[in-house]
Amino acid sequence: MDACQMQRLEQLNRVALTEEEREKALAFFASRFADMEKCNAVDTENTERMVHIFALENVLRADEKKKIFSREDLLKGAPEQTDGYWQVPRLLE
Amino acid sequence: MAVFTVKNENVQGKAVALDDLILTKDYPTAAGSKMLEGFMSLFDAEVVPRLQNAGYGIAGKVNVGEFSLDVLGETSHFGANRDQNGNLVSALSESIKTENAFACLCTDSNGTPRRAAALSGLCYIKPTYATVSRYGLVACVCSGETVGVMAKTADGCAEILSVIAGHDDKDGTSLPQNMIDSAKNADPICKVAVISSFMNGLSADMSEKVNASLASLRANGIEIEEIDDSVLPLAQPAWNTLSAAELCNNISRFDGVKYGYRTANYKNIEELYTNSRTEAFGLLTKMQLLYGSEVLSTENYMPVYDKALRMRRVLCAHFSELFASYDAIVLPACSQTAYVETDTDTAYNESLYTAPASICGLPVAAFGGIQIIGKAFSDYALLSLVKKTEGGAAQ
Amino acid sequence: MKFETVIGLEVHVEMSANSKIFCSCGAKYGAEQNECVCPACCGMPGMLPVMNRRVVELGMTAGMMLNCRINRTTTFDKKSYYYPDLPASYQTTQWFAPIAVDGKVKIETDNGEKFIGIKQIHMEEDAGKLVHDDWTDTTLVDFNRTSVPLIEIVSRPDLSSAKEVIAYLERLRALLRFAGVSDCRWEMGTMRCDVNLSVRPEGSTELGVRTEMKNMNSLSAIEKAIEYEAARHIDAIVSGTEELVQETRRWDDIKGKSYSMRSKETAGDYRYFPDPTLMPIVIDDAWYDAVQATLPLLPEDKAALYMEAGLEEKTAWQLVASRRLCDVLDAAVEAGCPIKDAANWIFSDCMKLCNREKLTADELPVNGQDLAKLIALVKNGTVTRPNAARVLAAMFKDGVQPETFAAENGLLAGGNDDRVDAVVKQVVDENPKAVADFKAGKEKAAMALFGQAMKLLNKNCDPQQLKEKIFAELAKR
Repeated sequence: MDACQMQRLEQLNRVALTEEEREKALAFFASRFADMEKCNAVDTENTERMVHIFALENVLRADEKKKIFSREDLLKGAPEQTDGYWQVPRLLE
Repeated sequence: MAVFTVKNENVQGKAVALDDLILTKDYPTAAGSKMLEGFMSLFDAEVVPRLQNAGYGIAGKVNVGEFSLDVLGETSHFGANRDQNGNLVSALSESIKTENAFACLCTDSNGTPRRAAALSGLCYIKPTYATVSRYGLVACVCSGETVGVMAKTADGCAEILSVIAGHDDKDGTSLPQNMIDSAKNADPICKVAVISSFMNGLSADMSEKVNASLASLRANGIEIEEIDDSVLPLAQPAWNTLSAAELCNNISRFDGVKYGYRTANYKNIEELYTNSRTEAFGLLTKMQLLYGSEVLSTENYMPVYDKALRMRRVLCAHFSELFASYDAIVLPACSQTAYVETDTDTAYNESLYTAPASICGLPVAAFGGIQIIGKAFSDYALLSLVKKTEGGAAQ
Repeated sequence: MKFETVIGLEVHVEMSANSKIFCSCGAKYGAEQNECVCPACCGMPGMLPVMNRRVVELGMTAGMMLNCRINRTTTFDKKSYYYPDLPASYQTTQWFAPIAVDGKVKIETDNGEKFIGIKQIHMEEDAGKLVHDDWTDTTLVDFNRTSVPLIEIVSRPDLSSAKEVIAYLERLRALLRFAGVSDCRWEMGTMRCDVNLSVRPEGSTELGVRTEMKNMNSLSAIEKAIEYEAARHIDAIVSGTEELVQETRRWDDIKGKSYSMRSKETAGDYRYFPDPTLMPIVIDDAWYDAVQATLPLLPEDKAALYMEAGLEEKTAWQLVASRRLCDVLDAAVEAGCPIKDAANWIFSDCMKLCNREKLTADELPVNGQDLAKLIALVKNGTVTRPNAARVLAAMFKDGVQPETFAAENGLLAGGNDDRVDAVVKQVVDENPKAVADFKAGKEKAAMALFGQAMKLLNKNCDPQQLKEKIFAELAKR
């Protein structure tokens, strides 16, 4: 991975590193990926991936509607709002 | 430098402190981040009414490192806690030691509370995954994080754990009540294994501390065997891969649009996003989320992320094998007794010790420099074991 | 060189559930902005998703109606991208193990029947709505639609013309509406469609460069967009004036053109991964069979049954356009009402009231049993035809029982011959001028008397009978 690819990754994640930080991040990545390589010592060809530690299934709720929160409360912490809407700069279509 | 980001001056009942990843509707919750400074949740985390209904009061919100990704809280937007020698001191343990809280609830994904307890003379339990509701946590690593309990004694931990543990319909991963209750009937721990390779990287004083705790276990009739193991260290990169990806995804909601920090410097939505996140997140958070995004890319998904998911199964199976011969596994909680300077690698390096229990959701008790990892639902048995070492103090 | 067009569709359909897919907010269209929102669906931290059982069943129903194989273990994944209508900056969807796969839908074309393959159907949450405010030059965000349950139906590239696409979409709509999966209303956005299109020399087996078109809000827009885009592709290949690139394009229906969206993210950037907060859904035989047992007949089979039972072809097809109408009719027939009477009432009085109340046929608020009771009351003369309309209006509004409402509001007609006779006599007595006019040959004068009598009787009289009695009374004078 190079600085250019890192910059692309930053854009994708909506953060910007300084050049110095980017250098650090490249080293950080190299070391993390190198450590992950160590796992290749274990053959997992026939191992099933484990997303959940406990194998629960069918955790479902009834299709019931509840209203608990008011619009006013939800918008209280909004950086910018108007007329019951959250507000952002104009998006180009 | 403050233990609490908000302190309740009027506590009713025994005071329990909450780390600042636990959402409260009466106090702001910032998760150690500039991004959420002053954020008011509209609801309480499930653990909060459980405590209140049992007669406990909320002591305040404890300062944590940003999303608790760090070593001992040093990345908090509100500043790190240090002693007079400049050593980092976790605010989690300080809430009990200097602010007199009876206990502190701590979110545990990267082991910060285990290090804090092990270095401060307190006791801590990270319970079995999904036995305490995660409803109302500022979620970082949903597949493995848990709310743990820190207190002066093992009994104190058990007392609070029995209050906060329980099934919750609002958390789709929450275990059924009968499975959670099975923790009360776990077999006592008699024989433990110490993994020798984990003892190699410790500082001299840490080695001493760990050996003293092992001696105390032995003195209390616990059989200890030293074994070597090459699989458990692989939990570190695997857990870091899973947790970075989940962190990246979970904190992508913090974008300056709906609540929290918004940059003053933007002309369009893209600048709003990027400048808000760049200005509000610390470097460790940024690096971790970028790594988490990269492991999910088309090229890396199978060889890295999917591999880590498979490693989780390998590690769980490996623990099961170990538990066929031993009641628990003992690892150091961290590599040193004191930390002054940390960088963006320190927390990862220290996760060598804490990742094995995190990735498999196993219960861990931490005290006196060590962690004792038990099989699932052995939470109270672990605390009983710790209690033995407390001698007269715990009676 | 002759070209052929290769089209595959991604159709999004909002499911008819009461609540959202992962939280308990209401999921119905039409609330005020941000009134159906909670911390979970506006992207605040702390809440965890809990899956709606009804949504799983609607997803299974859709899969079964489109002849798919249902994945007995189905899971959820997270798809990440930044956009203000996506409050968590990720969408929970199904990437690895969708609810249904490998189906097919039969359509009629100019060359006879054709089967369109369904690659997969997956369940996911909808995004919010953005309103562009010219006054402040900002964009306003409404999260009511966020997390409303959707299915996305991905077809195989088996379609070759706008006409086939329309036939396919109409067939999907009929099937999904009939099975109660969705109301599929283009105008409200509860059915939406993205078009993947490429062209190639006729007979070629290789696929050309593919573009994806979004933002067609009606069937006619889809038709126009396909014709435009196919022509653009062919022109680009033949004339070489434009290089085709794989991209997403936005259809502008007013200008009648498609435009490149130049979106920065590509499919590989979505960073899909399995959602650790949602457990797998495992569909055992019992659950599968229970859902299958609720499937309706196909609309055309149902229409055939209605025709056999004596309904006109046109009426039968009108009925099967709405599952609700069929349900009401079937229940009325079940309760003993003759099928033709039930159909007449549904398409006359019921539809008239629906129009007045601005309800769609799907929202017809009376049930079949009650409708059958009302029809029986009219047939046996207990309630007059004009009063029956009043009773039905009350049934629409308040869900009243027809016989109770009629009794409590003096709308029963039976056993009041004496009263009718008395009123007729009274009206004739009190209007000597009208009587004189009538005698002088003005037939209309009788109608005025009729109107007054009807009013005094509160309409509780058969009109024909009243007319006869008035003429009889006048004849006496």
